[in-house]
Amino acid sequence: MNLLAFSDNPLGHVVDVQIIGGDNPVIPGTESSVPLLTMHMVSMLIAAMLTVWMMMTVASKIGTGKGSGNERYLTTGRFSQMIEVIILYMREKAIHPVLGEANTNRFLPFLLTLFFFILVCNILGLVPLMDMQHVLGHGIIGSEMQWAFFGGTATSNLAVTAALAIICFVVIQVHAFRELGVKGWLAHLSGGAPLYLLPIMLPVEFMGMLIKPSALAIRLFANMVAGHTLMAMLALFGKMAFAGLGTGGLIGIGFVSILAAVAISFLELFVAFLQAFIFMFLTAVFISQMSHHHEDHHEEFEEGLTEYDELPAH
Amino acid sequence: MVSMMLAEALNPVAVELAPAITTLIVFGIVCLILFTKVWPKIASGLDERQAKIRQEIEAAEAAQAEARAAMESQQAELGQARAEAQEMIAKAKSDAEASSRALREQAQAQLAELREQAGQEIRAAKEAAISELHAESAVLATAIASRILQREINADDQQSLIDDSLRELQGSRS
Repeated sequence: MNLLAFSDNPLGHVVDVQIIGGDNPVIPGTESSVPLLTMHMVSMLIAAMLTVWMMMTVASKIGTGKGSGNERYLTTGRFSQMIEVIILYMREKAIHPVLGEANTNRFLPFLLTLFFFILVCNILGLVPLMDMQHVLGHGIIGSEMQWAFFGGTATSNLAVTAALAIICFVVIQVHAFRELGVKGWLAHLSGGAPLYLLPIMLPVEFMGMLIKPSALAIRLFANMVAGHTLMAMLALFGKMAFAGLGTGGLIGIGFVSILAAVAISFLELFVAFLQAFIFMFLTAVFISQMSHHHEDHHEEFEEGLTEYDELPAH
Repeated sequence: MVSMMLAEALNPVAVELAPAITTLIVFGIVCLILFTKVWPKIASGLDERQAKIRQEIEAAEAAQAEARAAMESQQAELGQARAEAQEMIAKAKSDAEASSRALREQAQAQLAELREQAGQEIRAAKEAAISELHAESAVLATAIASRILQREINADDQQSLIDDSLRELQGSRS
């Protein structure tokens, strides 16, 4: 018996769902040629609001304010302390060694915003909000309508990660022009090669300039899609076993698949942090490559993350 | 087969314009809010705390150095006071010894003087007593002799008898 015949598509938990507009919107009667509002957009809005609220709360705790006494210098609350530690680590150990003093001060707000925004999007995707709405709608209320209006991981949408990569590309290039000037930028594009190699070097370097942010977008998107697909697949094993083998199959296979899903959830939590960090960190590296002092370190930066500590602080 | 059909319907790589534009706008707004309301506050908080910690450490180091200097000066003063006290004790001791020596010498001198004086007095008394004893002996001898002789002797006889007796006496003593 082919159990796959009884399965749903695990991608159903990953791909975006149209709420308003598009071919098959959740809200009937709003069909249009292009989707106007999707589930990932709503998730991203929620993530953005959470990010702003979280960071404003943390800022009020970390900020010293205008009071008197030593108390005002203390960060109160475990969560704020945790965020402060993350910020300090990012500044001192990750960004400062790569960008140097001046560029760290200039780009730290952007890079940290990028990191926390992606992180909140990734973590929000781990909360089964969509499934809760399905359970509420179909299971409890008994409605036949599609009940999920928000949920899913915004960063598992290629359009979202591509837009973030475009922002990074713009920031990198604006910095490159400011730092190197048009002449320096063109010289950087030639990669210091002799003139007769320019017909090869220019397209290669130009493509590299575009591929770097594209790789950022695809890496984040692929990691999120893969993780959530795996989670969905593990969760579907139970359903497949029940359909194919009955209650015994559900108990036996379901138990193992739940254990595996829990373990993968922890891995996904780690991946959520890791991918947010990598997106932010590689953006910092690409910015640093477009700075004067890093033109000679091209290769070292691209070889691996472990190399950065060995580079002198600037 | 079913899965493949479903997979065709669900394309995770599909890129729609609306989510991308929304991302640009939403991330732009998030940046705007965080850049104006959050990061300046956090940066100033961290910087102020860093400055405060540095200031506190410097103040603590200065206080420590001050305390060390005060302790050293106090120890120096204590050493000086101890030396002075030792000196005073030594001086008092030598003064006491000198004074006791002087008193002892004075007492010994007085004692010697008293002893000398007493010796002289004893000698004078002894001589007086001997003279008196001589005189009394002469009188007594005269009286005895008179009684023996049953006669009166005149003063000249008496004197010559006394003198004889005395000479004999002195001769016997020497």
